[in-house]
Amino acid sequence: MADWMSQQGTVGEALTRQGISRRSLLKYSSYLATLLALPPTSSQAIAQALAGAKRQSVIWLSFQECTGCIESLTRSFSPSVEEMIFNLISLDYQETLQAAAGEAAERARLEAMEANKGKYVVVVDGSVSTRDGGIYSTAAGKTNLEVLKETAKDALAILSVGTCSSFGGIPRAHPNPTGAEPVSAIITDKPIINVSGCPPMPEVIAGTIAYLVTFGKLPELDHLGRPKPFFGDNIHDRCYRRPFYDQGKFAKSFDDAGAREGWCLYELGCKGPVTYNACATIKWNGNTSFPIQSGHGCLGCSEPNFWDAGSFYKPLPGRMTGAGEAVLGAAAVGAVAGAGSAFIARRRKAAASDPSASPSVPEGADQ
Amino acid sequence: MSPRDVGHDGGQFAQVSTGMAHAVEREIGQHLLALAHDGTEAAIDLRSIPMSDADRAELEESLGRGEVSATLDAMGRSDIWETAHAGVWWVRHFGTEGQVMAERIEIARVPDILRADPADVEAAAIRLGRARDFIDAHADSVAGG
Repeated sequence: MADWMSQQGTVGEALTRQGISRRSLLKYSSYLATLLALPPTSSQAIAQALAGAKRQSVIWLSFQECTGCIESLTRSFSPSVEEMIFNLISLDYQETLQAAAGEAAERARLEAMEANKGKYVVVVDGSVSTRDGGIYSTAAGKTNLEVLKETAKDALAILSVGTCSSFGGIPRAHPNPTGAEPVSAIITDKPIINVSGCPPMPEVIAGTIAYLVTFGKLPELDHLGRPKPFFGDNIHDRCYRRPFYDQGKFAKSFDDAGAREGWCLYELGCKGPVTYNACATIKWNGNTSFPIQSGHGCLGCSEPNFWDAGSFYKPLPGRMTGAGEAVLGAAAVGAVAGAGSAFIARRRKAAASDPSASPSVPEGADQ
Repeated sequence: MSPRDVGHDGGQFAQVSTGMAHAVEREIGQHLLALAHDGTEAAIDLRSIPMSDADRAELEESLGRGEVSATLDAMGRSDIWETAHAGVWWVRHFGTEGQVMAERIEIARVPDILRADPADVEAAAIRLGRARDFIDAHADSVAGG
């Protein structure tokens, strides 16, 4: 881990040290405003707030995980996103990235906890083994369970990155030999944000952290603790194949004519209608594509128990109702079907991302 | 670069003109009146509204090109141009790999991102001052070859 990643001071100072202009920050703020569905005129205020904000101390704990979540962030489409997010935070502990090892690494974690008591954010990727006292996953002679409890005690908030730390994920899948549990099952007295996905989208991880640093509070969360600006819409509502669903045009196999024409993958087991994430709008690899655009149905990886929810290739029971019916109404006017669904989703998203409606982090948040 | 090349799904929706360009144009007109009247600046995030590629192309063609254009090189390229309507700017930000990060219409005398930020100006002044001090301190050796 480069030294500057863990230096204190303000974001503006960090940028100046690296010769990054305020124009870059303003540009990034424009991007954030778009991501978070904030008013476009807010980008200047975001840039000013970020420049003056203290870099957020972050302690990143990796438990029963595959390292896909940190890979998602650090190998994101654009190095600039990765670089910018590391300017917003002081990454004081991260086993994969830090240069220190062994006792020195653990000492760094304890020192960061002491220096930023009550102010640091804990990022967790991976689920936590709880069976037999959590002995199935240990590091530095301590179980993950012990380290989580010890580190969370004086934390400002916890960011569960990935489906494993948010909901248990694959380690918690049947028969769950390690007694894997999500962070929220263990820590109940701290604000927890779940950024689910297997892996989560880099823009969503970065955007959530940027929101915390900029506004000093949590974004509005859905009933599963996920930030509404990113998880307010289901994949189906924002999918470019949605008009075909409305027209009753479904691919019957992955290589039939309908599939090649871009017809809806609902009958091939797509879980888009019950999956909330930003894949269909932000997309992966620099807005290049997402699984459905590549021809495969959504697996529902950002939802709890997705691994045990039945075959990925078995259609969901019944046709969608509820919010979908409103969209079907828009579909009746033909060409504007996509605009109708997108408008409805956007309206929800805009309502979800009003910073004034968000819960604050607890007293003591000094940002 | 054509607006059709800037990162959309290429699905059916992309080719459909929904009339959104006209709606956005009317909104721009309202903001422009406010700018003319009392200097109130505004911005419209083109990535936050359901515009198809066709809508975007229609809007770009309708607004046209004005007298000023600028290219910014900060965290990737940005293309900024004043449209044929004074005070209406099209701002398109690209990432380091050429993908569109943000795209907006700004209604302002000058877009914020073109102005030099006071913090950058201060840093530049300090750097120049140090360079001047260095030259002064070594003036003899420089003059003496």
